[in-house]
Amino acid sequence: MGFEWKVALRFLKEGRGQTLFILLGIAVGVSVQVFLNTLITGLQDNLIDQTVGTSPHVWVSGRNGFQETPLEASNVIRGNFLEKDTDLGGWEVVEQVLEERKDLTAVSPVAEGSGNLVKGGLAVPVLLRGIDLEKADGIYRISGRMVSGSPSLEGNQVLVGLDLARENEIGTGDVVQVALPDGSSQSFTVSGIFDLGNGTLNGSWIFLDLGRAQRLFGLGDRISKIELQVADVFQAEAVADSVEGRLEGVLAENWIESNASLLSALQSQGSSSLLIQVFVLLAITLGISSVLAVSVVQKSKQLGILKAMGARNASASRIFLYQGALLGIGGALLGIGLGIGLIRMFLWGTAIQTGVPLFPLDPTLESMAVIGAIATVASTLAALLPAKRSSKLNPVEVIRNG
Amino acid sequence: MAEIVLETKELKKVYGTQVKTQVLHGIDLAVRKGEFASIIGYSGSGKSTLLNILGALDKPTSGQVLFRGMDFGKMTENDLAAFRNENLGFIFQFHHLLPEFTALENVLIPTWIRGGRGRGKDVKKAKELLDLVGLSEFLNKKSTNLSGGQQQRVAIARALVNEPALLLGDEPTGNLDSDTTDQIYGLFRTINEELGTTLLIVTHNDHIAAKSDRVVELTDGKVSRDYSNLELGAEDAFRQVAPVYCKFCPHQPAHGGQSHLL
Repeated sequence: MGFEWKVALRFLKEGRGQTLFILLGIAVGVSVQVFLNTLITGLQDNLIDQTVGTSPHVWVSGRNGFQETPLEASNVIRGNFLEKDTDLGGWEVVEQVLEERKDLTAVSPVAEGSGNLVKGGLAVPVLLRGIDLEKADGIYRISGRMVSGSPSLEGNQVLVGLDLARENEIGTGDVVQVALPDGSSQSFTVSGIFDLGNGTLNGSWIFLDLGRAQRLFGLGDRISKIELQVADVFQAEAVADSVEGRLEGVLAENWIESNASLLSALQSQGSSSLLIQVFVLLAITLGISSVLAVSVVQKSKQLGILKAMGARNASASRIFLYQGALLGIGGALLGIGLGIGLIRMFLWGTAIQTGVPLFPLDPTLESMAVIGAIATVASTLAALLPAKRSSKLNPVEVIRNG
Repeated sequence: MAEIVLETKELKKVYGTQVKTQVLHGIDLAVRKGEFASIIGYSGSGKSTLLNILGALDKPTSGQVLFRGMDFGKMTENDLAAFRNENLGFIFQFHHLLPEFTALENVLIPTWIRGGRGRGKDVKKAKELLDLVGLSEFLNKKSTNLSGGQQQRVAIARALVNEPALLLGDEPTGNLDSDTTDQIYGLFRTINEELGTTLLIVTHNDHIAAKSDRVVELTDGKVSRDYSNLELGAEDAFRQVAPVYCKFCPHQPAHGGQSHLL
């Protein structure tokens, strides 16, 4: 340990009250940063999770020209309405390409079509979604959200949404009739009832096997779309663009386009939090700087003596830089501890009534390390000016004045 | 004749840029190895300025300072700092110990600055010196818990720890009572004789001046007298310095007279 460290440490240790106050000052600032950061991140994660946690972030459908049989696949008259054909042919290739991407967490092909659930003379509009259960679980977690029955789509088994089942008094094991757009009617056995936590989906969705859906809707070997979840939800737009760039003739849409207002709210929340953090940091830095500036004056005699005994100007500077760094590290560690305490208190406080915290807060080691590192660097920088003054101090003046 | 340790040539010092005050008017001085010399003179005669320049703390306006032939003027700031650390020991009027450190640590600081790690040899040396100045029982006391005389003795030990060739004192007893002054003088003598250290002491104390080997008197920034006490008897030596400190009693010793003559 160089003598500058020894002197810096001792100056801090002997200036007890002053050191304690500035440490507390940094600690409070850092704890606010840790808490605020975790709170905002938790809030955003929670909102985003609720919005897109169990729905696709990007969905890839066909665009004119991609179909293997383009003549057939132009605008097709079906029944008495015109349907723009966005079906995806040759989708296995697309799926394979997508599955190789590292930035995707789920890839699920869907063949869907509308129909009417016929029950007691009433027809309830439903969406029949043909899926590969295992792949769809990656997005919807259906298997984990079964209310009754079991997640099975073999043969003519289907899974029915909770609200749809309740309103129409459907139970597991029942057989339901569904009228299809082509006029035919199909009966299915309900193997289970799911709850996706969303009334609209629960009230209209019926899951069935992908191959079966393809046959029922006359899609042949085509499907309606491939649904994707991406690792970083905010990258959905970029992922969609890159998918379109990679695969000619597909249309990739993403959740960001359809949730613009939510996103701008999140963004402004994020930037206001950042602004607060910058000002907190500024306050810390100014605090340290002024305390150390006063300290240079207080310690000018000691510095003069050290210089007279052969300490270089650079050493005199370092004594103050090290003090800044030590205060920063100490304050940051203390502040991180305090911040975690604040988070615990928040979780405990919001859980009093319901027993469950308002939303989960999970301070990441990474964010705390970044905040701590920034505080330390800022504290060291705050010591620059005092350090410069210390370096310029003339020993003769100190000694002459006693 | 012993070798010349420190030498000045035509040393001049002017303070201020607009209102110029010349403090030193061409000082030529040579200090030999093993000398115990006092610099005396009225306030404002330039004693402290001279000592600060000799100690490489201040720079002359013109002229040269040579340490064993090495010219201060040709050394960088960092060279001078290292030079001070290795070759000079300073003792000031106000002990100037670091209150944050213990007596032993204060003595060790020059070794830390030199790059020592405060282990083994340095600590042993520091303890020996504290023993020499009679403070071996106060090693781990904060300097603020020591008396004025004890603090000054710690400062002397500190000045000696890097075994400097030259010990510079700026009124080292100026703040002490006469008994303590005697003790300090005794220490200087011991250091001078046993360690062979050269001493150059600015003093207001007629007693110390009279008992040093050589007296250099400054008047208005010039060397007005420079003589050896070695050939004089104690009483004569005292008469020589007394007028400097007692304008109105040129033939009477200051501070109560004979009792000071030991």
